[in-house]
Amino acid sequence: MIPPFQYKIPKNLKEACDLLWDYREKAKVIAGGTDLIIALRNGLLRPEFLIDITRIAELRKIEEKDGAISIGGAVTHSEIAVSPIINTYGKILSEAASQIGSPQIRNTGTIGGNVVNASPAADTLPPLMVLEAMGKVVSKEGEKEVPIESLIQGPYRSTLLPHEILVSISFKKLHPHMKGSFIRLARRDGMAIARMSIAVLLQREGIRMKQVRISVGAITPTPQRMKEAESFLEDQPFDLERLRVASEKTSSEMVLRSGVRPSTSYKSPVVKALVMRAIQQAFENLQ
Amino acid sequence: MKKIGVNVLKLDALDKVLGASRYGGDYCIPNPLYLKVVRSDKPHAKIVKVELEEALQVKGVERIFTAKDIPGRNRIGIIQKDQPVLALDRVRYVGDPIALVAGETVEATEEASQKIKVTYEELPSIKTPEEALQPFAPPIHEKGNLLVEFNLVKGDIQVGFKEAEVIIENTYTTTWVDHAYLEPDGGVAYWDEEERLVIICPTQNVHYDQREVASFLNLPFERVRIIQSTTGGAFGGRLDITIQCFLALAAFHLKRPVKMVYTREEVFQVISKRHPLKIHYRSGARKDGRLTAVEVDILGDTGAYASYGTTVAIRAAVHATGPYQVPHVKVRSRMAYTNNPWSGAMRGFGVPQIAFAHESQMDLLAQALKMDPLEIRKINALQIGSETATGQVLRASVGIRKTLERIEEWRRKILPSPLDSKRPFIRRGIGIGSMWYGIGNTGMANPSTAQIELSPKGEIILYIGVADIGQGSDTVLLQIASEALGIELKEIQLIRADTFLTTDTGATSASRQTYITGNAILNAIGNLKKKVLQEASSLLNEEEKDLFVEDGLVKHRQKLCLGLPIQEVARRTGKTIRGEGHFDPETTRLDPETGQGSPYATYAFATHLAEVEVDIETGKVKVLRVIACHDVGRAIHPNNVIGQIIGGVAMGVGFALMEEYDPGRTISFVNYLIPTSKDIPEVIPILVEDQEPSGPFGAKGVGEPALIPSAPAILNAIADAIGERIYHLPANLERVLEAVQKAKKED
Repeated sequence: MIPPFQYKIPKNLKEACDLLWDYREKAKVIAGGTDLIIALRNGLLRPEFLIDITRIAELRKIEEKDGAISIGGAVTHSEIAVSPIINTYGKILSEAASQIGSPQIRNTGTIGGNVVNASPAADTLPPLMVLEAMGKVVSKEGEKEVPIESLIQGPYRSTLLPHEILVSISFKKLHPHMKGSFIRLARRDGMAIARMSIAVLLQREGIRMKQVRISVGAITPTPQRMKEAESFLEDQPFDLERLRVASEKTSSEMVLRSGVRPSTSYKSPVVKALVMRAIQQAFENLQ
Repeated sequence: MKKIGVNVLKLDALDKVLGASRYGGDYCIPNPLYLKVVRSDKPHAKIVKVELEEALQVKGVERIFTAKDIPGRNRIGIIQKDQPVLALDRVRYVGDPIALVAGETVEATEEASQKIKVTYEELPSIKTPEEALQPFAPPIHEKGNLLVEFNLVKGDIQVGFKEAEVIIENTYTTTWVDHAYLEPDGGVAYWDEEERLVIICPTQNVHYDQREVASFLNLPFERVRIIQSTTGGAFGGRLDITIQCFLALAAFHLKRPVKMVYTREEVFQVISKRHPLKIHYRSGARKDGRLTAVEVDILGDTGAYASYGTTVAIRAAVHATGPYQVPHVKVRSRMAYTNNPWSGAMRGFGVPQIAFAHESQMDLLAQALKMDPLEIRKINALQIGSETATGQVLRASVGIRKTLERIEEWRRKILPSPLDSKRPFIRRGIGIGSMWYGIGNTGMANPSTAQIELSPKGEIILYIGVADIGQGSDTVLLQIASEALGIELKEIQLIRADTFLTTDTGATSASRQTYITGNAILNAIGNLKKKVLQEASSLLNEEEKDLFVEDGLVKHRQKLCLGLPIQEVARRTGKTIRGEGHFDPETTRLDPETGQGSPYATYAFATHLAEVEVDIETGKVKVLRVIACHDVGRAIHPNNVIGQIIGGVAMGVGFALMEEYDPGRTISFVNYLIPTSKDIPEVIPILVEDQEPSGPFGAKGVGEPALIPSAPAILNAIADAIGERIYHLPANLERVLEAVQKAKKED
């Protein structure tokens, strides 16, 4: 049973900020609600107000400006999956968005919601992390732009204050020589939470790998970049033995962050294989 | 044949597409009280005290019922009546019902249900059947923890293994599976003007429900009326009582309409599951591939209550050899009570589990003998004149070999796929799975009845108690009636699945309705025709022996111009002409010592071929295609049969790869995964129609057979792809990867 609440649909950002400023902890932003409604139904949240930000025009746009791509917080996964701009300048993100849940979920869920919900298995976070995306946060107190990582505090915990809104997410257009790959593993092909996801971006100079960026989802408490593996590969020639060592570093990092669990015996070899596979695919995409 | 083998529009199709079908939860009655069940959160405990005072204070709460309010027998169950509707002094699993709250709103019932205080004295709980059968294990029921032990003995197993030149021995396990039917159980109950208690809800057997509810309330049968609502699948989960007794109890006492709808979480928690079986299987064969001996030991977990545990134990044992001739067979099949969720009927009654074992064994024998898996099956396949493991000699309609031959034709078209250089981590494999399935209940009477009526108004009405649960019995049975009468389908009114208007046809289960009720309808129509001819004879003043019925007309053998519509006979005589029909398949009881006998009148056969792709680095299996060949006797409605097959394959993919109910952890579809449209392979259905002489127009059944060979074929395909076998279902990511790693070590 969903507890009763008042539903507010602000028409513009200012109105939304005012409402949140007034209601604070009593309110929850709803930007699709594919996770929020479940939390309400399970009695995990009991807000007095839901502030629906999906009707605010500013939050519904995908824009290309000053060499960067900006995606409104209330843009849906379906819109991202088919956006020509994102497919051109940040394909890894549209690929990830196209694999989320089901058509119904993709039509409802939004990128802002996916980020702020901060699930360890959030599908858009690994691609956003390798894209080095920034989030624009607005409240009645003003606005700020912060790296996407800093919006995530822990599993299902974002750093947003109750009166703040994630208005947009932006990233620099990828250099045409930078290519990526995204691999998602789940127990079935539709409507399944990722068991593991890997996003890789890199550039190629001859046989060398440059600008290597690797991030993972669903295997660490929060999605994260794999810096050790990245710097191990940076500016190095592409060879399988090196990839193997890098993938082992990823697996060790996973164990370090998540501890040894019953699932580790499965996840450890698989994350190694998939990191290798993702880097290889990214490298091959550059040929 | 005008109406048989024809794809007429399925009766429920239009309503389903338009959203006009009324499922249990769609029934609106004026001013109802809503019901909510309060359940045990302990697996095994004595109930010391149930305190209702605080809950009764909740605004809108009308009344709270406990076991003390039950006027009749507080024990239900299809075979052994061991399950209380509301626990009196003891709970046996997490979810056992203790109290029933009736209130003006759903919210009030929920609030009150949280305020009921139950004090327990916990008892040691039993988690596995092995534990349950230990000498000093605490008994879950008065008669102890062994629900049933069934033995089947044919020939001399010692001799059989002595004759064997290769012996394969393994243990296979399967786990709990949920039916995952469409809508959570919901319904309404009220008293009608004639002082009958009416219950409308989804079910697979209105007459069983009527008997249970009547004795539960201590009412005569005729004062309870059960009407089946549209039922979005059931797969065995609606053979047992679900919400009927709760609705009945509240309406009985409150004299007000009541309504309840389970949450999906409740459905997962409290509806029966597929029995987890542990199957120890030993088979022996000669060098030429002929099976000499099969010895099987089956131990199942029926959970807290018996439900269909006995049926599953016996059916698994009877089908243990697979569709093969085996001279020496020994099977012991046991079912034990535990404090786990109760298991019951689910599509196949233990045969999907045992087929996984016998088909794995067949492939392993073939491998050991360096034979083709299809060849070894052909060599051993049952045929006309074969004797089954229960000593039954098969007389007709044994299509297993034909299904193998058709599958072989298909296999020739599948080219070996070279390694994909872009995806070196992918291995492909193909696998075969065969099955047999006895139509109807095992070794017992399972009659059906039907009536066909011509009214003085000229109507033709078919009365059957059959619950169509989406599989299409309404359409198929009308086709049978239409063909036999020679009258258009749309001219025949169908009245079905209502205890007030129809008689007992037995359950929609065991793939039996087409065969058994189909025959009852033919019997009714035969009797109707006789009566029509009697009436027509006096009406037309013609000798009865000169008259016959054809194409819905009374005709004369000599006077060719005579053709009186049968409706006209009723109209002119002003009488209701009624044909009563009855059919009970010819079976014999199985010998209690040796399990020998003829448990079924006929068997369905099938073979599936599955093509899979395995990612050897992640354990992910993709089923690419299933070629599904079924001997159904005769397809009355081919598209309906094909629909059953495709659905069966989809369910088989789930059983093979992902479906796993974990008591205490599985909540709902959020963590119970069934295949989505993206996970279901291409299915190529092939119908073999080896007609069954005793079947209506040659038909047998396909409901359960559709599912059974899929998982075995998929598991054999995985073994083919990775070179190592998986012995535990489901073959999830972890198990497949583990098998890949094992295969690597062995290399």
